[in-house]
Amino acid sequence: MKYLLNQLDPTTGFLDRNGCLNMANDLMTRARTTGQSLAMFWLDIDRFKQINESFGYLGGDNFIALVANRLKCKLSNRAEIGRVGADEFVCMVPNLDLVRSEQMATELMRIIEPELELSGIRIRPTVSIGIAILEPDDDTFGFLERADRAKTAAKKQGGNRYVISGSEPLPGRLGIMLVREELEIENKLHTALENGGLQLHYQPIIALDGKVQAVEALMRCRVNGENITPTKFIPVAEKTGLIVRLGEWSLLQGARHARCMSDAGIITKTAINVSRLQLVDPKFSQVLNAALICADVSPKLLELELTESLFMDISDTVQSNLRVARKLGIGLAIDDFGTGYSCLANLKDLPATKLKLDRAFVCVLPHDRRAFSVVKAMAQLGKELGMIIVAEGAETTEQVEALTEAGVDCIQGYIYAKPMDDISLFSWFKERAAL
Amino acid sequence: MTTTEVSKFTEYLGNTLRDISIPPCPVILERINSEMRKDEPCFNQLALVIGSDVGLSAGLISLANSPYFGIRCRVRSVNEALNILGLRITSRAIAGLILRNLFPDTPMLVRFWDASASIARLSGWLSKNLDGIATRAEDAYTFGLFRDCGIAVLMQRLPDYPDTLKKANGETHLSFTAIEEARYPTNHAVVGCLLAQSWWLPEEICIAIRHHHEYPPISQQNSATLNMIAIAQLAEHLFQKQTKLSETCEWGKASAFCMERLGLDNESLIGIYGKIPGL
Repeated sequence: MKYLLNQLDPTTGFLDRNGCLNMANDLMTRARTTGQSLAMFWLDIDRFKQINESFGYLGGDNFIALVANRLKCKLSNRAEIGRVGADEFVCMVPNLDLVRSEQMATELMRIIEPELELSGIRIRPTVSIGIAILEPDDDTFGFLERADRAKTAAKKQGGNRYVISGSEPLPGRLGIMLVREELEIENKLHTALENGGLQLHYQPIIALDGKVQAVEALMRCRVNGENITPTKFIPVAEKTGLIVRLGEWSLLQGARHARCMSDAGIITKTAINVSRLQLVDPKFSQVLNAALICADVSPKLLELELTESLFMDISDTVQSNLRVARKLGIGLAIDDFGTGYSCLANLKDLPATKLKLDRAFVCVLPHDRRAFSVVKAMAQLGKELGMIIVAEGAETTEQVEALTEAGVDCIQGYIYAKPMDDISLFSWFKERAAL
Repeated sequence: MTTTEVSKFTEYLGNTLRDISIPPCPVILERINSEMRKDEPCFNQLALVIGSDVGLSAGLISLANSPYFGIRCRVRSVNEALNILGLRITSRAIAGLILRNLFPDTPMLVRFWDASASIARLSGWLSKNLDGIATRAEDAYTFGLFRDCGIAVLMQRLPDYPDTLKKANGETHLSFTAIEEARYPTNHAVVGCLLAQSWWLPEEICIAIRHHHEYPPISQQNSATLNMIAIAQLAEHLFQKQTKLSETCEWGKASAFCMERLGLDNESLIGIYGKIPGL
């Protein structure tokens, strides 16, 4: 979008207040014409007054320029940004619904918060954000004002958070989303990564003939004596990008575990979860090979479990990384198949060797005949494609019987074994061998 | 990599399971770290743990007595070494000593570890003596120790790695890791980073290991990471200048980045040459 040069703020290169009004107007018209949503983020840098007082106005300007540069580098192709006050920016993003706006607000906080140096002193900037989603009766000023009010609410609650305008009346939502808990979890993840707070637990996957086809490695996190559940720490790790480091740690640990099992004469695969963020990196295959070398393990003993969120973007890079893994002899399993973004069309693009049916199909068995038919059809499809079909989350004998009748190849669930640490897993294998 | 090289590598991975495997964080290090995490760590308990391993005790005492720490009186016991070095540096030094002990004492590896240890100590010294560089000496020291640990792993795993190393050391234009990647599907910086992560080293150190042959690192990094890379590269240059050992072409590729990062000009560099402590 092009605007007049005299509408640009000289410190940041962003649009100034007037430019912002024009920009908001243009984007709102476009959103209404195309029927797309439009999100507005009003950003207010916390404690800017103190920075101005401590470093002078020149220092304050430098600080704002550094923050603006971060926004520019990370967002320039996705968002329109303007400076609406000494320490305030407006950022507008088309085609963004409420859920993705919240993700975007977290991302904005992430972009701004890394330490920066001002006259040799390290500062960790934080930001308060108000979010407004365009509503049918909004005019330009009304839209901006709603975002501004939400920002003021975020500020009043202590800053370093975001608040959604107008979301309070929605059923089942608090409306105001505090990010404090997420920041605490993130902090704990950093502690875990530097203090040995991570561990892998393993859950066996059993073939219908009773053999252990694989064990799935599941990450556990414990910090200062407190267990943090994966349902809490995985989403935070994904939002903050820490999932890459957790994933790399788990790749090497899982590979070492596979080697230990092989040394102990237990010939089964170890399945390791890899995230979308790992696979979109063109250098993922270097990390994979490095883990194989460090662990000194045969690739045939490993399997990568791909979360269904990967299907949001099966880029050439992802496909190439997966092809490299297959070429090495590593198995590829698609996790939680049948939910979220996963669909049959993906099967033609990915060289997967295993499909893991989501527990949603299993927990309603044996009574739900429609679910049974879906599982049966998937098992048939799997056979045609030469893939192993695993049913996750089996808890009762009746479910196992239904799954056997449907023709799945393997079952994973509490009915056979809960996830356990490596020592318990070895004992579990030993007990089975003794039977 | 050519197709033949890829299949050779794949075949190697599929067929060979060798004796040496790099362990997860060693038990003794876990015990030291867990004692350190306590609000009031017990030095006597730590000294007992370290003292149970003669090699570690000797290594720690000799480190405390090295000129880099500027200790006037001679350290004679693990307890004294602990008091003088502090807990953080003790833990890192022990990690380095254990790492070295994992590998066999082939002449090439002995030279390699000796060089790493000297570069680590010089890095610690530089971080204390360069003006305006806010990098902790123990971080610079640890990074120096672990920076090239991927090389030791690859030397164990890949029979032709010494030849690759020679070629990479003599390369004046391409990056060191580019030479490795032409032959293998990974490089020592990535291997070293994974190993450092699994030993729970701080994030800045792991990232610095991953990017230490990029001048400057391609992705945006924080100043602690950039400083560590620059300090260790300068330390390697000083080490090679002083010993005339294992000359590489890295300084030619890295000097512009390092000197800018560390705020040095030719005159101040010459000044540093004259102050290097004995190795």
